[in-house]
Amino acid sequence: MGGEGSGFGIGDAVRRKEDRRHLFGRGQFTADLRIPRLQEVAFLRSPIAHGRIRAIHVPEGLRDRVVLAGDLRGARSIRAVTDAPGFNAADFPLLASDKVLFVGQPVAMCLAPSRAEAEDIAQAIDLEIDELPAVVDMEAAVRPDAPLLHEGWGRNVFLTREFEAGDLERARAEAAVTIERTYRLNRQAGVSMEGRAILAHWDDRLDELVVWNSTQMPHQVRYALALHLDLDEHRIRVVAPDVGGGFGLKNIVYPEEIAVAALAAQVRQPLRWIEDRREHFLASIHCRETLYNVTAFATAEGRLLGVDVTVQVDAGAYATWPNGPNMELGMAIKNVPGPYRLEAYRARGWTAATNKAPIGPYRGVARPGACFCIERTIDEIARAVGREPHEVRMENMVRPDQMPYRSLTNMLYDNGDYAESVRIAADLVDVASVRARQAQGEADGRLIGVGFAAYTEQTAHGCGEWITRGVPIIPGYESCTARLMSDGSLQLLVGIQSHGQGLETTLAQVAHHELGVPFERISVRHGDSALSPFGMGTFASRSMVMAGGAVARASRMLAARIRPIAAQLLQCTPDAITLRDGAAHGPQGSVDFAEIGRVAYVRQEGLPRDAAPTLDVTATYSPEIDTGVFCYSTHAAVVAVDPGTGTVEILDYAVVEDCGTIVNPMIVDGQIVGGVAQGIGNALYEEIPYDTSGQPLATTLADYLLPGAPAIPGIKIAHMCTPAEHTEYGMKGMGEGGAISPPAAIANALRDALADTGAELCETPMTPRRVLAAILAAESRIHAREAAE
Amino acid sequence: MIRREIALEVNGRSVHASVEPRQSLADYLRDGLDLTATHLGCEHGVCGACTLLLDGEPVRGCITLAVAAEGRRVDTLEAFDEDPLMNLLRQAFSEHHGLQCGFCTPGMLLMARDIILSDRVASDAELRVALSGNICRCTGYAGILRAISAAREAWQARPHAATGPA
Repeated sequence: MGGEGSGFGIGDAVRRKEDRRHLFGRGQFTADLRIPRLQEVAFLRSPIAHGRIRAIHVPEGLRDRVVLAGDLRGARSIRAVTDAPGFNAADFPLLASDKVLFVGQPVAMCLAPSRAEAEDIAQAIDLEIDELPAVVDMEAAVRPDAPLLHEGWGRNVFLTREFEAGDLERARAEAAVTIERTYRLNRQAGVSMEGRAILAHWDDRLDELVVWNSTQMPHQVRYALALHLDLDEHRIRVVAPDVGGGFGLKNIVYPEEIAVAALAAQVRQPLRWIEDRREHFLASIHCRETLYNVTAFATAEGRLLGVDVTVQVDAGAYATWPNGPNMELGMAIKNVPGPYRLEAYRARGWTAATNKAPIGPYRGVARPGACFCIERTIDEIARAVGREPHEVRMENMVRPDQMPYRSLTNMLYDNGDYAESVRIAADLVDVASVRARQAQGEADGRLIGVGFAAYTEQTAHGCGEWITRGVPIIPGYESCTARLMSDGSLQLLVGIQSHGQGLETTLAQVAHHELGVPFERISVRHGDSALSPFGMGTFASRSMVMAGGAVARASRMLAARIRPIAAQLLQCTPDAITLRDGAAHGPQGSVDFAEIGRVAYVRQEGLPRDAAPTLDVTATYSPEIDTGVFCYSTHAAVVAVDPGTGTVEILDYAVVEDCGTIVNPMIVDGQIVGGVAQGIGNALYEEIPYDTSGQPLATTLADYLLPGAPAIPGIKIAHMCTPAEHTEYGMKGMGEGGAISPPAAIANALRDALADTGAELCETPMTPRRVLAAILAAESRIHAREAAE
Repeated sequence: MIRREIALEVNGRSVHASVEPRQSLADYLRDGLDLTATHLGCEHGVCGACTLLLDGEPVRGCITLAVAAEGRRVDTLEAFDEDPLMNLLRQAFSEHHGLQCGFCTPGMLLMARDIILSDRVASDAELRVALSGNICRCTGYAGILRAISAAREAWQARPHAATGPA
């Protein structure tokens, strides 16, 4: 291959191409764009969780600065409809005109030269709402007497699912140990450092709508705008400039974005809306809020026999585009079995509608909850049978000789050694020394514990898998146009979007590997629907496998075009040509890519008779199997907890991971640590509680705690490498994984630390208040037992 | 609308402006002077993305009013293109993967430079605390901490480190 040994190929820790602009403060985020005649938009939002709009009084003189639902022409409400059986659909209006269903729902747009003035206008509007009883609790929401959010539904339920495989009654009968638990993951937000953002204007020369949008999926946004506006898709261009973090929450098309785009097209006035932090907490998607009731059956040795689980998801008020709240429940049910051999499994669940912000995908989607459910339960089984939890884990895992292994929930685990990842993790945190330290006790009175959590993550799944999820858009492929220029430099135009993942670098590494074009002469262009072929975007841990595959394929197509030209110039046969170091080499000599490019574009008399001019190819790529390739990992946490205050400190944290072939180890490790940091936020800090009237109680960074540098310990990382058999180079996706295990690993470490008290943490985030409450509850159980004896 | 005339020095240049008393310094720099390296992440003084220097001290641009900068010196990341310490930091951030999406990066760099120049941290734990007012959602801080430590070492090891001006 062309790039071997250069230091810029596959497997090399290449420094990122995208760093320079950011390090000089020259990144180009949507708020940094400058365009003449721009007006800023502020949204008037509902301050009420559930109510009927009686009147919207706009002060005299401001009417032309205020846009209400009835003022928008040729723009349709969002209607996310999935193929999931029994799915209840409801329109999500761009601007509410009748009912409001959550605090923060957009009601009016206010336009002014500056955001401050636009907010002044919003403040001057008198919004009269007749308040209705708010539905805030997901369990109460589905009771027959609950007020309905969407009239005509009958019940506040988006969808229900049931699954059963194997003989659960036999498992129940054979069980020596039965564990019953309730686990709750509370509601949180994604909190990209840059909020959502959109700038839309009409380009009169091209007669098209240009939309700059902080999104993970510009082509899907273009598709969505054509769907929701009276505009042909060829007259819409969507550009994602620099995007300041996404984590899933920018993988959605929101009412604000369609409304701004629609109005810009309607009034032919450049408009911009930049989400502020409070709006982010109010009206960007929330995530994670799920409740698991689980019963697990095991033998006296700790062998898992069966699992029976009920999953409830609190989806908030509306379904967002494209997937709404559809994926959480299905993925939770699919992923509870995790990396374990399980012969009997029953799962049922429903997704409730409540008067809260809509939920959507956030790094890990459903799997942090599923992992919490099974991994906390495995620990309880181990404790019940008196064994080390990590050993019980290893014995229950799918073994390498069983691979490929089809799980009960029809996931095809492709390869790897799951138990080995546990063993290495146990070594990294040195379980024996933790046990010794526990026996000795801490001088400061704190309690020490070690906990594990493993997962297996489906990544880069293709068409068939997405169809089973019932989603309306099937992101089963990626695309790339590869263009060798007339001077021998290379452009890669790709349909994904990179917002921190470093794909401008790693995709160039792939092309360099294939073609030997010098790394610094390769540029990757992404995020612009007018430049690249259609692609789905960056989400679901898919871009390196999918877009990397498309780049590999396009590069090889280009190589196949380059070889005959080089052969003509070097007077040899095409198969005698090798490509490396920016040149084509034949038996008798070499010709550099600049000469080949010159011939292909501007001196075509040098081309072979049957060769077409230009060197510009487009490829699409799907992995050879569409069930995905499975990255797996075990996390181990060592914590110290103060039983007097409930505060938790992470003393040690290790991640052992197998994502197959690694393209850039520096970037992979960065993704792992970044994911773990978000998982630690999930585990210990982040939560948006709601009061009984549906008011969110954390809408600033003062009440919503994000982990800062002191909260994230150094993370030990060990890699295993089992290349995937069905992807280019053996790559597996891995972007989300880091965020999956920390809540479970830390909860298990707390369980271990508090073993003598009998306290368990079964709810995230594990705040000092909840830790203390768990200790007190355990104490009162002990007292009650003693009193009874 | 009430406006106030202010005179200040921004990135070494004298600037006169008419601003609303309520306008933040960060908004004035971004909208009035097109200096967009100062990012706004929360606009209530918590995340640190808008960190800039006021008379050489790091402050939050989002909760500092433009009128409060009257007669003072303001420096944003744009002032540090040629700064030797900032260039060490840039190199270290790139080598140690101290940035992913890049949004928190300008604030991180200005705070990191101040931490090194003031020589106020002696341990990794102190460095973490010194950086605790700057939130990064992507990196988990590992690369940032390594980068600052590496840049600090390089800075202290430079020729004439003991006597050279900042």
